[in-house]
Order: sequence, then structure tokens, then C-alpha cells
Amino acid sequence: MKYNSIIIGGGLAGLTSAIRCAEAGLKTALISAGDSALTFASGSIDVLGIRQNNSLVQYPFEEISHLPSDHPYRKLGAAQVKQSLHFFTEQMAKAGIQMSSHGQQNHSRLTALGAIRPAWLSQPGTKALSIAAPAAGLRRVAIINIAGFRDFQPALVAAGMKKHPEFTGVEFTVADISAETIKIDARNAYELRSLEMARLLKRDLFSQPKGLTIFASAIQKAAGNADLVVLPSVLAVENGNELISQLEAHTGLPVCELATLPPSLPGMRMASALRQRYRELGGLLLEGDEVLSGYFDNNQLRSIKTRLNPSMPLEADHFVLATGSFFSRGLDSNPSSLTDKTFNLDVVETGQREQWSNERFLNGSQHGFSYFGIETSERFNPYQNGNAITNLYCAGGVLGGFNPVAEASAGGVAISTGWFAANQIIAHRSDSSGTAK
Amino acid sequence: MLNLINTSFDNCIKCTACTTRCPVAEANPDYPGPKQAGPDGERLRIKNPELYDEALKHCTNCKRCEVACPSGVHVGTVIQLAKAKHGGFKKGPREFMLSHTDLMGSLSSPAAPIVNTVTKLKPVKKLLDKTLGIDERRTLPKYTGQTFRSWFNKQSGTQEQFKRKISFFHGCFTNYNDPTVGKHLVSVLNAMNIGVSLMKKEKCCGVPLIANGFFDKARKNAELNMNQFARSLTETECVIATEPSCTMTLRDEYPEVLDVDNSDVKDRIFFAAAFIAREFARGNQPDMKPLKLRVAYHSPCHLIKAGGVIHTMELLSSIPGLEVIMLDQKCCGMSGTYGFKKENYNTSQSIGQGIFDQIEALGVDYVVTDCESCKMQVEMNTGHTVLHPLTLLAQSLT
Repeated sequence: MKYNSIIIGGGLAGLTSAIRCAEAGLKTALISAGDSALTFASGSIDVLGIRQNNSLVQYPFEEISHLPSDHPYRKLGAAQVKQSLHFFTEQMAKAGIQMSSHGQQNHSRLTALGAIRPAWLSQPGTKALSIAAPAAGLRRVAIINIAGFRDFQPALVAAGMKKHPEFTGVEFTVADISAETIKIDARNAYELRSLEMARLLKRDLFSQPKGLTIFASAIQKAAGNADLVVLPSVLAVENGNELISQLEAHTGLPVCELATLPPSLPGMRMASALRQRYRELGGLLLEGDEVLSGYFDNNQLRSIKTRLNPSMPLEADHFVLATGSFFSRGLDSNPSSLTDKTFNLDVVETGQREQWSNERFLNGSQHGFSYFGIETSERFNPYQNGNAITNLYCAGGVLGGFNPVAEASAGGVAISTGWFAANQIIAHRSDSSGTAK
Repeated sequence: MLNLINTSFDNCIKCTACTTRCPVAEANPDYPGPKQAGPDGERLRIKNPELYDEALKHCTNCKRCEVACPSGVHVGTVIQLAKAKHGGFKKGPREFMLSHTDLMGSLSSPAAPIVNTVTKLKPVKKLLDKTLGIDERRTLPKYTGQTFRSWFNKQSGTQEQFKRKISFFHGCFTNYNDPTVGKHLVSVLNAMNIGVSLMKKEKCCGVPLIANGFFDKARKNAELNMNQFARSLTETECVIATEPSCTMTLRDEYPEVLDVDNSDVKDRIFFAAAFIAREFARGNQPDMKPLKLRVAYHSPCHLIKAGGVIHTMELLSSIPGLEVIMLDQKCCGMSGTYGFKKENYNTSQSIGQGIFDQIEALGVDYVVTDCESCKMQVEMNTGHTVLHPLTLLAQSLT
């Protein structure tokens, strides 16, 4: 069976690439070995938020020219990165989620530990705070949980926020809403994760005619006259952003939801919106399958063999490899070497094995391995034994040369490189449209 | 010899992706979801079998947890094996009746007109509901007066004339309930110059037996089927099956769940659409006339799990004039025998509601799916006739 493009990896990079290809009318298949890291992601998109010296970036696109030359963004240039993010915003809107940005500027988003992270795009339910002065306009913040839900600790959020000098002088209220107040049959709320809490609330509360009013008055009572209400993101899986805005209308208070420990509902929402969009465009989604190997010939990837159909290789004109980094099992390491698990492509690695990581994992300093990944040409073609594979493109976390966590750039790199790969494929196809079917 | 415990479930990183995709956990708060029932519970059960949780009975073995798992854990299988090991199955007369599909078929088929009339009667359905716990709101499957095998035997001479031959595992439903799909497979393959032959003997693949806890019986069937396959494969290219759940069971569940070695034949067992799509790709495609139809395609859970959706879509897209809309890849809620049970009726209906609503909103000519169980559920809950992809393909033959 032959496709115009086959995308390997169902995360942010793979989905963006697949949507772009399907939208251009290419016969596209997306292969995904299990759910992606979006299930754990914040549901916001960071582009470039933190400099090497740990200072925050206000204008991410302007900052691109200061990055090292082998950084994926440098290969794309600020204009293309920006274009790709506009494409992404447009696709999310078509799938029903209006992502918002502060023009060219980054904003701050809160985390469930009360940390402040830079981002460029956020869902409406995530109240974007100013990047330069996150506490601007805030005097009283109420952090509210549903009693017993263990994956969100209001006191911990408050303690985290207080560590930021900007929040000195802000008054924090922490409160719980009891199950009885909102009339839910929580049985044992300690057993519930965000997803189960959302399902419970849907069943017992929000499906009732007065559900929203009951919840809104519980919030009002707990929050008093706060000028920001912070809730764990447990209210709804689908249409969660709409629910937050209805809640704001009912309470008259600005409400912000925070992604909790996995699963993250805003992340899930984003993943399912993108999958839905891809399907609407006629793309084929192959979930739960995995690429075992590729057949390379004359510096081209001709076909791939998958675990579920090993005797029926899939052919395509172009492929995108978007399998993610170590956590997503796109990259693998052993005591002596580092590999891309799928095709054994050339990888960027530097220094001695002992220097790949710092002794202390969480002390805030950077790890060498974060920069590791597949080495690519200016057009994101990888190499095999030094030869560029010209019909294969790499995108997202599997790429080397950037540090997604320390730079706060994971989302933007995934989207822009995924989009770029698709554009190359589309351009190549229209160049050769005389011969293509 | 050391008794090693299979600890592959420990690859679970507790990400909960499986639970986010579990149709039962979404619809029924009594089920704690695959993470807890599978890898989490397994650690406890290994320590102390007393920690076995009754709630595992809610799992339908749809395998969506395995499709979602980014760490390659066989979550569904862990749950099935735990149920088997800890006696978590209630095996009453209802479970026996629902799961012994070939026995029930061979008893009912000769008296099909009577059986079909009787099982439609309200008092009878009430009685089945009250005495056995088969929900009276369900439409019960009809039986065919002429089994697929007897139809096939009458024209097996025709099949002998083809140079190329494949073996067809027809399964219980095609044989005893509705032979349509089997007949259409024969006409499609014949149009591609491929003859069909049947195994001398075949038994139920075992999927309903596994789901109802009759593991010994399922294993016996598996062994018989594998012997028959090996024999049949000396004269034919491969074994193909039209039913996704049968195919998945023959290929994957035999070694994983039943501990029946199928390594000699596994690579030669194909889902029918996969085999046909490969032939098409090699140029062996019959002439087809356009079918001016707009259809919605529902992908069955076990077909997704077995990686077969790509082949069905390939076949459908080869039919000229056919417009195919892919439904959200959600579970219809029937899950074989699960939906027939009174205590599961509400969960089953609530799982499928999204699909029913989507179908009604689309206003298509037909719904298309590969699975007979999904077909029953969709036909009962929507105003639409459900066709098998092979039926469309057969209609499109010139």
C-alpha cells in the first residue's frame, strides 16, 4: 500500500505534520505507538521562554537569532516559526479550541506547584498572566480544591507562588469544596484522578439543570472577593474551556484551571482536538502500532515494516519521524551508546559518557543528554552513516540541538519542525505534480 | 525449576493513558479502570491473591488500553489472565449459552424458523431476562436455516478449479447466524481468481469463551484449530478470517492468553481485508463498477488492536464512487456477549451513545463495519442498516 506521506509518531509534532499534509490533500497515514506525552502536558504551548542564564524571555521570536546555530529554530528562522504557530492556532480553532497569545509576547502560566512557566499560547481556561509582572493587578488569590482530590494541593500552590518576589503582598486563601456542598457521590475522593473527578462531576453535577449554579455558588463562598480563582483542571474533559467561561460568568470572578498530575485534562483536550481535526481532513490514524524497521535504498526510505503487519510493508514518497525523545521512546541509550530506536540514524552526542548527565538530577543545572537527538541537515533530513536521507524528515523531541525543558521550547519546536516537514513534502509534490498521480 | 513470574506489567509507568481511553471506566463508576485493574492490581495480587478485586469483571477485553499504552504493557491480557487465575468469573447457564456459540448454533440452526420466531416473542424475552439475565431489551441474533458450510459444500467443486487457494476460517456467526459475508468473500476472491477452501473441521475461535471464563474449552478449541490450520496450509496459501475478533484471537490471544503455541502458522493468518488489499496492491484487482453511496465507517475495537483498519480503508477507497466518512474511533459498547447481560445493558448503551448520535447526525445511506457484534449494536440503536466492507466490494463487482 502506498501513501504520499507517512508520519511516525502521534504527539504534537506528528499531529501538526499530519494535519498539514492531510489538509493539502495528500494521502496520509499517522502511526502512533500508544498515546503521546500530550496526555501529561500543560495544554499550553511554549515557544522559547528561558535563556541560558535562566532569565525569562519576553519576545520569543526576537530571541531566536541569539540561539546557537545548530538549534532547530535557527534552521527555520523566526518568520517560519511564527507562521507554523499561526497555522497551529488556526487548526486548533477549527477543532473548537481558541488558543490565545499576547501578540508577540510570552505570558506566564501557573503550575500545580505554584511555579511560573513562560508560554506563548494558552487555552482560554488557563488564565495567562503577564510575563514581566505576573502578579500585576492581583491582590487576593483564592486556591480551591474539591475535598479529598489528592492530585492538587492548594497550600502547596500558594507556598510555591509566595516564593516569587512579585507575589509579596498578595493575600492567599486556600479552601476545599466538600462533596456534600456540590452534591456529588464521591465514594472515596482519594481514589480519584483528574479524569475520574471530571467524569464524576459530569455525571452527578453538571448534567443536572442547576449543576453549574450550585458549583458557582460554592466557588463564590470559598473565594470571597478574590480577584483570581485557581482550580485544578478536573471540571470537564471535553468542553472544559467553555465550562470555565460559564463559571466566570456565573461567579463574576476570573477563574484559572491548572493541569494536575497525569492525566492532564487540558493536554488530553488538545490531543483529541488535533486527532479529530486530522480525521476530519481524511487522514488515517493507526493507533497502537509501531515501526520496527525501514527499508532504505539509494539514500531514500522506501518502506516501513510495522509490528502489527510485518509481512505488509507500508510504502510512501515521504516520511516524517516524530517519535519524541527518551521519555516517548524515540531515543534510547545504553551504557555505551545512544540510538534512535526506529531507524538507527546518526545522532548528536557530545562528550564522554560520564558527562551525559549531572550527578544530581533535579538541582536545576542542565543535563547534556537533553541536547541529544538526531542530527539533521538544514532541511531536517537525517543522516545514516553520514548520508542524508532526503525523503525522511525529523520533527519534535527526537531532534538534537535544543533543550526542551531548560529553554521552555518543546511545544514550539514540535509544531514548527512538524509543520516544516509537511511543507517540504507538499512543495516537493507540487514540483513533481506532472508525474504524481 | 524456578517458577518465574511474568513481570512485564512492570513496564507500566502509571501514566493513566489507558484509563483515559477505557470505554467502561467512562460509563461505569464501578470499574476502576485498566491501570488499577491491570498493572497496579497485579502487583498486589502477586503478593496476596486475597487482594483480587471483583471489579475486574467489568472489563470487556476491548483492548483499547493496550492500543493507548505508550509503554507496551498488555493491560487487557493482564486483566483477563487475572480473572482466569483468581476465579473472577461467574459461570452460570447464561454464560454457557452465550459463549458456546458453535454448540448453540448447531442446535438452533436446523430449527432456525422456529427459533427465530420464538426469540422475537416478548414473553420469551421476558423469561430469558428473568431466568437467565439476558436483557429483554436486546434484539437476539437470528439463526440461518442453511449453514455457510452446507452452502459452501454444494459448490466446492467450483473452488477446486482455481489454481491459487486460500483457507477460510468462517467462524460461528457466518456459519450459523448469517452466511452473507462468507458468500461475499467467496465471490470477491473468485473474481480475483483465487479459490476458497474450508478447514475439514473448525471450532469457535474462543473469543466468547475467554470472555466468559471457559479457558479450558477455549484452549481445546485453539489446539484443534491450530492442527486444522497446519493441515490446511499444506494445500493453501494462507488462512483468512472476516471477523476481527476471531482474527485477533487466532493470531494474538492463542499464545498470549491461552498459552497455545501458534508460531508455525501465525504469519499465515490474515484478516480478509489485509489479504485482499495486498492482492490489490500487487495488481490483482477485479473490475469494479461505481457504487454511488455515502457510508459511515465504524472501526471495531479488535480491528484497531490488530492493526487492520488500514486495510479495510484501503478496500473501501478502491470502490469507485463510494464516499466513506470515518466515525470517531470509539467503542460501540456491545463487546460480544457483554452487552447481552442484563447488568451490563446500561453501560453498554451508554458507551455506544456517542457513535449512535454521530451516525444519526450524518444522514448516510449505510453504516459499514467489519464486526458482527458492532453490527448488531448499531442496527438496534440507529435506523441504519449495517453492511460489511466485503458486501460493498461484492456489490461493486461487474
